[in-house]
Amino acid sequence: MKALGWLAYLTPFDRKLLVVVTISVVLSFSVLLLQKGGSRVVVSANDKIIFVAPLDQDQRVELEGPLGITVLQIENGAARIISSPCARKVCMSMGRAEHSGDLIACVPNQLVIRVEGDNVEDEEYDFIRR
Amino acid sequence: MTSSGVDPQELEHTRRRVMLALFVAMAVALHTVEVLLPNPIPWFRIGLANILALTALFSYGIQALWIVSIARIMIGSMLLGSMFSPGFLLSLGGGLAANAMMSAGYKLWQPKIGPVGVSILGAIGHVTGQLLIAWLVVIRHPSIWMLLPFFLLFALISGIINGLAADYLLGSLYKHPIFAGLKKQQTPNNNS
Repeated sequence: MKALGWLAYLTPFDRKLLVVVTISVVLSFSVLLLQKGGSRVVVSANDKIIFVAPLDQDQRVELEGPLGITVLQIENGAARIISSPCARKVCMSMGRAEHSGDLIACVPNQLVIRVEGDNVEDEEYDFIRR
Repeated sequence: MTSSGVDPQELEHTRRRVMLALFVAMAVALHTVEVLLPNPIPWFRIGLANILALTALFSYGIQALWIVSIARIMIGSMLLGSMFSPGFLLSLGGGLAANAMMSAGYKLWQPKIGPVGVSILGAIGHVTGQLLIAWLVVIRHPSIWMLLPFFLLFALISGIINGLAADYLLGSLYKHPIFAGLKKQQTPNNNS
């Protein structure tokens, strides 16, 4: 038990505290995993909402931007961009948006894809937009 | 005692002042060194300077803890040129929350709790305080709290490391005659 030799330097109270804290850290991770996804996808271009769809319906959407067509895939409760006409494909590498507040932006094609939840109170503004 | 003819209370006060100054100096040094270390995760630090704050707490009490850590944050950020920057705010918020947690833990469970326990409480306070400041000042978005479990995990690990280091440091410091005048019940249990 050499790997746990450091436990000898803890007081019995410290050991109990360590167990409690470890359990709460594990619990906080499970809260994170159990968090339910957002409920709908909102796509806006130039501050105008051009597309809204529920997240639980699998579909593929073609979004028109100044550069061309960006393809948005909604699958298994998450949205991601699978093809884009822009040069760097940053939006494609942003991955999946599934929780309320997640955001995918395609700056060259001027599209902002946002996942929203059921509650309007969730939708807080950030420091810059406030 | 080596010096005779001096008021022992006065001697104890002077020793305390000198030791606290040394603790602050060492904490600032560790704080600075830590910034130079490669840092894979932004904002995450081991918080090595907290070793000295813990040592101050266990040798001279709660007031010494606040002196050492606030002085460390102020002097450290002045040296690094980050004073009043967002990073400084995060550091200060984390430091205040950590101190609050450590003082409360020490006050509530004082004879039973050891440096490792206080250090874990402090590390948890530190990340929570930092996230709170980050949420209030920098990114006003609830999903920032999704970082909390990861931060807590790292805080737990770094808290244990710092606590063990402080325990070791206290164990060797108490052998020195300068600490002979300290109250016995504050001695941490050092399984030897």
